Amino acid sequence: MAKKKVFAISNALSNGIEETIQAAHDYSGELRVEVVPLKRIEVDPENPRDLALTFEDANHGISPTDPQYARKEQEIESLQSIANSIKDQGIINPIVVYKFGEKYRLVAGERRTLASIIAGKTDIQAKILDSKPNDLKIRLLQWIENVERSDLSLWERLNNLEKIVSAYFEKNNLSKKSISVTELSNLIGCTKPHAANYKAVLDADPGLKQYISTNQIRSLEKAALIATIQTSDLKEHALNECLAGANLKRLKAIAAQKPNKIAQIKKSVESRGRQTTSVNLGITKNVGVAQLVLDSILKNNALSPIAIHFKQVDWNDYRAINNTFKQLVKKLEELHT
Amino acid sequence: MTKIVVNATHKGGEGKTTNSIILAEYIALVLGLKTLIIDMDPQANFSGRYIKMEYDPSYKGGKIPALHPDYEPLVDKDWDGRSSIANIFYGEEVVPYPTSITNLDLLPAHSIKLQEAEAVTKNEVVEKVHLQLKRFLELEDVQNTYDMVIIDTPPSKGPLTIAAIKAASHIVIPAQMEQFSIEGIYGMLQLWKQETYCRTPNNPITLVGILPNQVRDIKLHKQFLSGLRQGKGLGDYVMPHVIKKRAIYTEILVEDANPKSIFELPANNVARNEYETACRYIMEKVNHGEEKGVRN
Ligand SMILES: Nc1ncnc2c1ncn2[C@@H]1O[C@H](COP(=O)(O)OP(=O)(O)OP(=O)(O)O)[C@@H](O)[C@H]1O
Ligand SMILES: [Mg+2]
Repeated sequence: MAKKKVFAISNALSNGIEETIQAAHDYSGELRVEVVPLKRIEVDPENPRDLALTFEDANHGISPTDPQYARKEQEIESLQSIANSIKDQGIINPIVVYKFGEKYRLVAGERRTLASIIAGKTDIQAKILDSKPNDLKIRLLQWIENVERSDLSLWERLNNLEKIVSAYFEKNNLSKKSISVTELSNLIGCTKPHAANYKAVLDADPGLKQYISTNQIRSLEKAALIATIQTSDLKEHALNECLAGANLKRLKAIAAQKPNKIAQIKKSVESRGRQTTSVNLGITKNVGVAQLVLDSILKNNALSPIAIHFKQVDWNDYRAINNTFKQLVKKLEELHT
Repeated sequence: MTKIVVNATHKGGEGKTTNSIILAEYIALVLGLKTLIIDMDPQANFSGRYIKMEYDPSYKGGKIPALHPDYEPLVDKDWDGRSSIANIFYGEEVVPYPTSITNLDLLPAHSIKLQEAEAVTKNEVVEKVHLQLKRFLELEDVQNTYDMVIIDTPPSKGPLTIAAIKAASHIVIPAQMEQFSIEGIYGMLQLWKQETYCRTPNNPITLVGILPNQVRDIKLHKQFLSGLRQGKGLGDYVMPHVIKKRAIYTEILVEDANPKSIFELPANNVARNEYETACRYIMEKVNHGEEKGVRN
């Protein structure tokens, strides 16, 4: 008798659990909010400011002899509505500061801080970092704050992640263009399988990314699976099934198919039926591919006379794209009679 | 600081209410600590153990707490005589109910009011609900009156459960050793993780662990448990003691049960012993292992 498996936590779930616990340990306290006296907050002299108004001005009023008097007056004016809402209900979004001796230096939230002073408050809610954060750290904080938000799409998460990765390269003076799975898992505090999924999707071709950007693919696991299929036939097949709503299990089954099997089936279908006398230029759901084909053709100098007809294509509209290609074939046929 | 233990999992029927009851009674009866219990579940099962819950005339199937024993209709003109934890979401005063157990006070549920709080979706309102229980428990009055607070939550991951976790110093996740429980465990781990991000070092949130409940001597349960214990990272958070499935844990909840609490059973009673061991473990975590005098 086959040994019955009574209990199994699925891989995805057990990875998820491990990753959750790991992240809890790694980032404990990183988003903590404390109440900080306003008089201990200062701007970071190394950071550019867009306001002329100083904390001093907000506290004691603008000196009439101040050369920037008019501008500062206007700035106070523009902060008044935030100040009123702070008076009523405090700040909703805490500011971000880092410890600097006895003081706290601002990372984010200058306007909220000034408005709180104007509102007559003595303290403010702040996320406190232990030291001045670099760009990478700031992005990582945004990541851990946002990653759990269910309203963030896969595309938005990927965009955040791309920024994190480039900040990481910059910080470490790395010139390479691709991050390793281990680096990525360390960076964002997740398990390697999860990081591998992110990496696969980060490295995916523009066609696949297009579907993610339009929210036609929302699942990281599915996107990663499709991205890693090597055979283009199978990949296309999996992509189409995914767009039609196939679940992960089904996609895995497709990915596991032997590539030549599909090719064989196709062949046997093609060899039946009547004799073929025309060429089908193929079908794709991938707008990126269509775009690539058109661009490549138009790069051909010999075809410059027809290029003018294809300057403005609405790449969001499949019907318009189809018409464009019909027209393209027609023009090409005209040139090649 | 008053320590606050929350029993939570969004999977239903795992033992949140049972564990809230027994842990609270252990703390009040055995440890002799002044304890406040809070029922955040609109089902109001926890409340029903300690005070009479009445059917809500304005809401079919809903429950409201009976009149407070201290209520005097002739004097208390600004109060309708009922008080529930839901009041904190409406800016109203709360008045804990005494229970028949020494040292144990209750803030009961109020079905419709809690459901309304659970159903809020507007961002600003959600945030208010999330923080309201924490603010309430931080009040000096509450801190000075109670040593411990035990909170029972609804089977959800919604605003009421989040509010409880935001207020908590410790979390216990009761779980049956069956496939679907894992979802509840995972959901709670995520809430715990998100909350650890926001805590300061002097106000941490501690995951006491998963309490295996209703365990039977069958292969299914044993394998599930050992699967949990071997889970990477997870093993540390599976409590070393388990609660078996025993009729007495249900029987003792009926109104005319005698004795009324398992801590009134003889000290060598198997069920009492088993649960007392688990409670002791939870309290060790709560006290960071430091010895706390038993005032009994
Ligand atoms: N160890 C146990 N042995 C036997 N019965 C138990 C045990 N633990 C709980 N029960 C019973 O199982 C049922 C569900 O338990 P309980 O009400 O504590 O779960 P819950 O998580 O609070 O449920 P809900 O999600 O509905 O609030 C109850 O009838 C309870 O008496
Ligand atoms: Mg319950």
